[in-house]
Amino acid sequence: MRRALTFCGVLQMKKGFLFNYLIALVIILTLNFILPRLMPGDPLQAIYGCEAMIVMTPELKAELTRRFSLDMSLDRQFQSYIASLLRGDFGHSYFYNVPVSKVILGCFPWTILLVGLALFISTGLGVLAGVESGYRRGLPPDRFLLGLFMGLSGLPDFFIGILLLLVFGVSLGLVPLAGAVTPYSGQGTAAIVLDVLHHLALPLAALVLSRITAIYLLTRNTMITTLGENFIITARAKGCANHVIRYRHAGRNSLLPVVTAAGLQLSHLITGALFVEIVFSYPGLGTLLYNSLLTRDYPLLQGILLLATLTVLTVNFLVDIIYSKIDPRICYAH
Amino acid sequence: MHINYWGEVKRDGFGCAGLAMLALLAFMAAGAPILSQYPPAEYTGAIFQPPSAQYWLGTNDVGQDIWAQLLYGARTTLAVGSGAALLSLLLSILAGGLAAMAGGFWDRALMRLVDALIVIPPVIVAILAAAYFRPGITMLIVLLSAFLWPDGARMVRSQVLSVKERMHVSAARTFGAGWLYLLLRHVIPELGPVLTAIMVLNFRRAVFMEAGLSFLGVSDPAVISWGKMMQQALSFSYLEVWKWWLIPAGAALSMTIAALTCTGFALEKTMNPRLKKEMRSGNACNKRIDCIVQRPAGFERYKPYP
Repeated sequence: MRRALTFCGVLQMKKGFLFNYLIALVIILTLNFILPRLMPGDPLQAIYGCEAMIVMTPELKAELTRRFSLDMSLDRQFQSYIASLLRGDFGHSYFYNVPVSKVILGCFPWTILLVGLALFISTGLGVLAGVESGYRRGLPPDRFLLGLFMGLSGLPDFFIGILLLLVFGVSLGLVPLAGAVTPYSGQGTAAIVLDVLHHLALPLAALVLSRITAIYLLTRNTMITTLGENFIITARAKGCANHVIRYRHAGRNSLLPVVTAAGLQLSHLITGALFVEIVFSYPGLGTLLYNSLLTRDYPLLQGILLLATLTVLTVNFLVDIIYSKIDPRICYAH
Repeated sequence: MHINYWGEVKRDGFGCAGLAMLALLAFMAAGAPILSQYPPAEYTGAIFQPPSAQYWLGTNDVGQDIWAQLLYGARTTLAVGSGAALLSLLLSILAGGLAAMAGGFWDRALMRLVDALIVIPPVIVAILAAAYFRPGITMLIVLLSAFLWPDGARMVRSQVLSVKERMHVSAARTFGAGWLYLLLRHVIPELGPVLTAIMVLNFRRAVFMEAGLSFLGVSDPAVISWGKMMQQALSFSYLEVWKWWLIPAGAALSMTIAALTCTGFALEKTMNPRLKKEMRSGNACNKRIDCIVQRPAGFERYKPYP
């Protein structure tokens, strides 16, 4: 099974998973292309929604039909769809009356901020808790942490968000109920940063709480396995201090599965962020998605979901490449 | 592998708790018309009522009885969850079984497809499809199964690969049995516990996804669902109603997921006796399900039989 790790071999592996991602990409694009056209009735109506059709003039209709190549064969339509995507043209948002890409770009930074911070904090806290818990397996602190995190994993992300909102926002009134900044309050950089953090605290906490269990359990399991290895006994025999063994010997080796899981974790975080943002009306992609669903703004909806999917695919691909670099034992089955 | 799985799960504390909660849910769902005084979608005559003897959990903004909605919501959750678990299991068996039994081109093609599908974020694509279809219960089951089967197919494939080398399967093959016959008569019966584990896992994921989709409001408006109740209740968070409208729905949803997690955990412990020695509960919640079932040796590089 062990493939000789030549340069050629590494290149082949990369081609292997590059191919997987290409297939995934084709599936996603085809789905995005075919879904509106599968709907009964006028495809233009499915693409733009019923409301847009009411105000549409015949000239505009003809122009749009030409732009989507709706009067041509299906493969020509697909070609023009891909071509417009490559130009960065995601369509025109009917509700906001601006190009979809513009609307999305306005919201995307907030989601990146939320997801990025959540990734760092949940990984950091999860690894820390996992290392401490795994080191004290079976003792009261470990049992407490295990019970706590197992309980958390049963709550859907939006329900955690709702609970936090009800407790800290509605009942205690500690944090704002919606939005990302207080309008017209900008007085100096420090005040703005504090304001942003104040608004960010609850959505971030909800996202971290909903995703931390996976990291914690992964680290804890690896920690337990690693602690049984011979080099730990050697380290003890050398007289290493406990915290050195815990973090430098065992903890460091428990990081590997966390890195593999990071891609998966990020795709869950992005999905979770969409839901958490809706709960807190945080002005990122999630709230935009919710609004586009309420207003039936289909081009916007497609653009948001396409962007989210592409982000997940890209990140997973990068993680796969990084992972094969840090752990050369990885060979894919195909 | 002759273990009394049912007995083992019953003996396990987590297993008992999980099964008890599932039984309670099934009871709620089955007895919904008897346990509630009003049909769930009917106007009862008063809006925003607090809980009382007449309305056990009060009424919502359009005067529907919340307790009745909670009970009928259990029906939706269980129907979608079990339906999607069954259908996706069927797809997994077909794809994984065909890949393992036929080998060669089929194996490469199907596993390539599985590898590609696994990197697609299921919830996001499900939202997109649901936004167009506005799925009812049946459509939801089909939609969710389409995203749930690849993980199971991988597990089924690896298990079939190890089972099909056993003596009785070879014997049947020498008598001229085809791959479908071998799969159905000789291989699948041996895979009972693994298939149950896959089903429990998919059940849990389907419940999660259904709740998420109805929370976004992309499912059929006529379907009563806990996710939808939470969505509707959330817009009235400035009133007191969330205490008896939002929280019960969320609690019921969390209980369902906890029940499935516990059952899955107990099953996993039964199937993998190595876990019994230590409290290693991680994998039950870990969505990378490959790690639950130990891959048999030689799984990675498999040569189809000549």
